[in-house]
Amino acid sequence: MAGRDFDKDVYPEPPRRTPADNKQTGLPNPALIASKLFYYSVDLPVTKFRECIDSIQSGKKSVYYHQRFRRVPDLTECEEGNYVCYYEAEMQWRRDYKVDQEIVRVLQERIRACQQREGASAPQNCSKEVQDYDNATKAYMSRYGDLGAYASGRKCLMKQKERMINAQKA
Amino acid sequence: MVGMSVVRSAAAFAARLNPLKYGNNVSRLLTRTIPKTEQVAVRWGHGKELFVVKPSSYYDNRFLRLLKYYLLLTGIPVAAIITYVNVFIGEAELAEIPEGYEPEYWEYYKHPITRFISRNIYDTPVKDYEKMMAAVQIEQEKAEHRLANLEVRRQMRQRGDGPWYQKQAVDKSFIDHSPKASPDN
Repeated sequence: MAGRDFDKDVYPEPPRRTPADNKQTGLPNPALIASKLFYYSVDLPVTKFRECIDSIQSGKKSVYYHQRFRRVPDLTECEEGNYVCYYEAEMQWRRDYKVDQEIVRVLQERIRACQQREGASAPQNCSKEVQDYDNATKAYMSRYGDLGAYASGRKCLMKQKERMINAQKA
Repeated sequence: MVGMSVVRSAAAFAARLNPLKYGNNVSRLLTRTIPKTEQVAVRWGHGKELFVVKPSSYYDNRFLRLLKYYLLLTGIPVAAIITYVNVFIGEAELAEIPEGYEPEYWEYYKHPITRFISRNIYDTPVKDYEKMMAAVQIEQEKAEHRLANLEVRRQMRQRGDGPWYQKQAVDKSFIDHSPKASPDN
């Protein structure tokens, strides 16, 4: 998603390691020409437009916050028949489901950024990001894997029970 | 079908060369000259103005006209409002929640129109949550009451010491004890 708001200190871009140019021909570099073309035809007008709009809007900025929810008793900690407790546990489970989806998305975005940065040396230099993503997706699939569109906290709990039974059998 | 068109074209031919029509004398028929279309009107260029026979496009154009009118009637104000909001008011920026400050429920959204709708049109999500919990609790109490009702009915019917399942018997002063006065009657 374009324009995501995140803390640039928490997810920093690594320092650039582009090597110095080692031209061995006298011909002009078409990639350089193409990039300059793109810069003057697309990048510069868009940046100027953005700065113009920002100058109109300067000073009247409002803020928005990240909402934090209190933790409530889980589905396992509710008494049987207490449907209000079930409802709160279900809402908390749904919020956690959304958070886990966003976590997986952030890791995907990191892999994409790493691939874009490294270019041809991506398989060698991006192994940590790929490893993190693999671990995260394995955990995500084992927890939320085939629950489907009508997933709920109860179904997830039953899936966990199945996992524990299978782990005990093995 | 082909036969019909042949008959029709034959009828048209006959009508055109009808001897009873004016200008269709036998003497004129062979020697008359048909006027050429290029020679008719005088000197304005592209030839005679022709009546091109095609189906009416009035309904199509009326539909397109009305479509554009009704779409733009609300489309232009909406586009103008959205452009104004995006250019002059602008989206909010993410910030940490300051110490001891409880943000209002609309301050959790980024776009100003979303904030406006959340502030003026929707209820606070806390209220929606509480309403749902109240509905769930009412249904839970109803279910519990129904189960308790069934259990109470079962117990009272079985034990017979409750106010339900009582049958009114006749008053004992109506019992005639006279046949029971002498045992060997």
